[in-house]
Amino acid sequence: MLNNLPARKSNGRKLAMLAGLVAVGAIALLTDNVSREIRLLGSARSDNVQWALVQTQVEFLEFTQQIDLEPVNPAELRLEFDVFYSRVATIREATVFEELRSDPSSSLHLDGLVAFLDEAVTIIDSPDDDLLGQIPQLLRLSEDIAPTVRALGNSGLDAFAQSADSQREAVARTMTQLAIAIVTLIGVLLMAILFLNRLNAQITRREQENHQTSTRMTTVMSTSLDGVIVCDSNGLILEFNPAAEHIFGRVEKDVLGQEIGSVIVPDHLRDAHDAGMERMRNRGEKRVVGKGRVQLEAKHHDGRIFPVELAIQSAATDEGEIFIAFLRDISKRVADEAELVEARDKALASEKLKTDFLSTMSHEIRTPLNGLLGNMNLLRDTELSQQQDRYLGYMETSGRLLMSHISDVLDITRYDAGKLNTRSEPVNISALFQDIIDNQGSTAAKNETSLTWDWHGPSMDWVLSDHDRLQHVMMNLIGNAVKFTRRGKVTVIVENTGTSDAPELFVKIQDTGPGMSEDLAKRVFDDFVTGNTAYDRDVGGTGLGLSIAKRFVHALGGEIGVDSILGQGSTFWVRLPVSIADAPEEDNGDDVAPHQPGQSQLVLLVEDNEINRIVAREMLQSERHTVVEASDGRQGVDTAKTTRFDLILMDISMPIMDGRAATRAIRAGNGACKDAVIVALTANAMPEEQKEFLADGMNDILTKPLSRDALRALLKKTGGVRENCEIPMINKSHNAETREALGEETYVRLRSRFVSEVDEFREWLGADEVRDYLEISTYSHKVAGSAAVFGADQLRGTLKEIEAAAKVGDVKAIKDQEWALVDIWQETKLQLSN
Amino acid sequence: MLTRIAQTSLSLVLIFGLISPASADDLPAPQGEVILTVSGDISATNVDETLTLDRQMLSALPATTFETSTIWTDGVHTFTGVSLVDLIDVLGMENGRLLATAINDYTVEIPVTDAVEGGPIIAYLMDGAEMSVRDKGPLWVIYPYDSEADYRTEVIYSRSIWQLDRVEVIQ
Repeated sequence: MLNNLPARKSNGRKLAMLAGLVAVGAIALLTDNVSREIRLLGSARSDNVQWALVQTQVEFLEFTQQIDLEPVNPAELRLEFDVFYSRVATIREATVFEELRSDPSSSLHLDGLVAFLDEAVTIIDSPDDDLLGQIPQLLRLSEDIAPTVRALGNSGLDAFAQSADSQREAVARTMTQLAIAIVTLIGVLLMAILFLNRLNAQITRREQENHQTSTRMTTVMSTSLDGVIVCDSNGLILEFNPAAEHIFGRVEKDVLGQEIGSVIVPDHLRDAHDAGMERMRNRGEKRVVGKGRVQLEAKHHDGRIFPVELAIQSAATDEGEIFIAFLRDISKRVADEAELVEARDKALASEKLKTDFLSTMSHEIRTPLNGLLGNMNLLRDTELSQQQDRYLGYMETSGRLLMSHISDVLDITRYDAGKLNTRSEPVNISALFQDIIDNQGSTAAKNETSLTWDWHGPSMDWVLSDHDRLQHVMMNLIGNAVKFTRRGKVTVIVENTGTSDAPELFVKIQDTGPGMSEDLAKRVFDDFVTGNTAYDRDVGGTGLGLSIAKRFVHALGGEIGVDSILGQGSTFWVRLPVSIADAPEEDNGDDVAPHQPGQSQLVLLVEDNEINRIVAREMLQSERHTVVEASDGRQGVDTAKTTRFDLILMDISMPIMDGRAATRAIRAGNGACKDAVIVALTANAMPEEQKEFLADGMNDILTKPLSRDALRALLKKTGGVRENCEIPMINKSHNAETREALGEETYVRLRSRFVSEVDEFREWLGADEVRDYLEISTYSHKVAGSAAVFGADQLRGTLKEIEAAAKVGDVKAIKDQEWALVDIWQETKLQLSN
Repeated sequence: MLTRIAQTSLSLVLIFGLISPASADDLPAPQGEVILTVSGDISATNVDETLTLDRQMLSALPATTFETSTIWTDGVHTFTGVSLVDLIDVLGMENGRLLATAINDYTVEIPVTDAVEGGPIIAYLMDGAEMSVRDKGPLWVIYPYDSEADYRTEVIYSRSIWQLDRVEVIQ
């Protein structure tokens, strides 16, 4: 609109000018016409021609009268003739009679008249006597010409009348045209006045608007909280508002016309600034202009450098391009941010410190605990009285509970530190649940509670998930249900609630236990929440079990929840996204046969913790392996250089050189153990860490606390199975000691009791009844203790296997050992009787 | 003005051979054919109550010559004669008018105000030659029409009387 105005205005102006010019031109033309007419009228070129014509007749009459006079006066006659002659001559010659002469009839008459005069003049000019004598002839001539004189006068009158008429008409026409032209001009002038009036109004309005805009701009500039600096393309300051004055400590009048760089740009940025200005001037390249908010440093009048946030925009004006910079002192904000960052860093550091502390403390606690448990394990191999054996059982239970608490704390710490990673491996869901149910069966039986599980809908055996975590969660939930339910029912329902594309594992653990209050149900997954029931004392717990379960489920991308009615029971449920996996290939050779100890192997044990070292050494030595010890990585590497070991057990965290570096050194070097089997010993290896260990050149990983079974399984792998059992059925020296100590009579009595004890045990174990795992382990443990007294090492070992298998609920292992027991017991009994 | 009158008087003295114009009777009668008769309120007379002038006497008066075209003739012509200024000086007129009459008794009135320097003359020569009655002679009042537009008006044309033979002075 505003853009169209000037074009419209200029069009209007052109039109008005054109119309005005046309009108003025017309008027000029007409005025010229009129003035010519006026000149014609004013100069009266016509004289009084009509009068002159009439006078011709009068003078002709006066002449004829002189002819008619009696007597004729020649002088008078000549005079009258001359006057008439003069008149005709005038008509013939005078310019005023040109028009008349151009009239054909008048011209004809005039010629006749001239002919008459020519003829008469000869008579008139003759001497008086001759003249008088020729009067009659003169009379006749004049009578002949009289009609011509009259006709000339009439035709002249006609001609002049016509001429006058046409002249009048011409004048009238010109006048009319002039009038029209004047009216047109007046019209144009009126239009021009209107147009100018409107233009004037517009200009006035625009001026007012401009004024208002300018006032508004000034107000905006002066009240803006941001500094506003306007400069031209040379960087010379044109405006500097009060906020800018405040920010930079300058006064506007001092900086106007100065180069902006010298006023606000810090010295160390001057070169960059000048280069930028140069670039913009030469190539129009704009790096900051129009690019939104930029954070830069600026210079205060007192030389202080401070951070500013600025936005620059350019605008085209009549005086060339100008730049408007909006600046804000962000010193405070930057300081606040820095403070905030510092506070956050401190918080993070302290959080990390806490986590580290917990992690370290847990680790530090676990190491000696491992020592305790290992030593207790070794203690079992010694001769114990029943009371001692009972105490040792309590210690082991307490120790394991403590270990599990520490593991809980570690898990929570890891999860909260974001370090809890999960594996994705094929897991057999059915087997997993069956194992857990088998494991919990004895407890459930003790509580007189039925424990069952089943698929709801089609089963889904192999899925990708984290076996250990999943087992932990389910063991916890099912264990809880079993723990809290007396004379009731625990039902586990497993279901695939997902689609074929996205399978989803949904597990419901329903119990008919005491249930929870609504309040407790809400908090039950929080840390350190324990039920306030009478059973608490019995079941114990840190109150971390469910909170860890929740963390694991979340880590696996699932959900966990509980619906409970106080007094009626609880239903815990878990929903996990999984993906279907193929069943892994069967590892047939994986069956551990612990009752068939492997060949004696040469083992290098690299471990900094002395107690752990002793435990591991004892375990290895009890299996008849030869052990060489090293207390750090460096020693380990040195030892491995010269001696070829069948197995190197390598602790990870050690002083001087850690296990990973030592492994790399052994693999990289050219020593005897370059290709030896190296197995990591670690307490808390994460899956990705384990991958790294393998990448370092380790063959396998053993998790601390070291268990005899795991160690055996490993040694079996490295050493192979030896057909001939080297472990004697009876430790003769030990047996001899016992025999001597007890005395023959007591020995024999006890031996028969021992034989019946074992027989009873076998019978009990082989009976077709559901047994509680705890019972199996306790019973086998007890029998193993008796076997130890008689030095029946093989028997004892097998019983210990059963005990260990029962503890983890390994039904298959128990069955296997049970079969192995048949031969061993037969042989032992035979040897013992000798 | 006085100088002018003195000059004119001197002229008359030269013309008429008189020392003073005090006595009209002293003025000589014209020797040749009378071509102009002045009557009316005039102090100088020679025949009866009039001043009659022949061609010689007119020629003796100061002559004025100019070129001009007229609407009654073709082209530019040179006219010579007594200017009206000189004539009224001779006649001793200060104001009033002249009634000029032609041979055919056509009369026009010429105000004394027309008598100005560079104004009309009573011409007796056209192109250096005397004018016959047939050529609008012997005397013709001619205004310098070409010199200014004011002389090219109907009134001036009507005052341009030809075949002039009588002038009556009315003071």
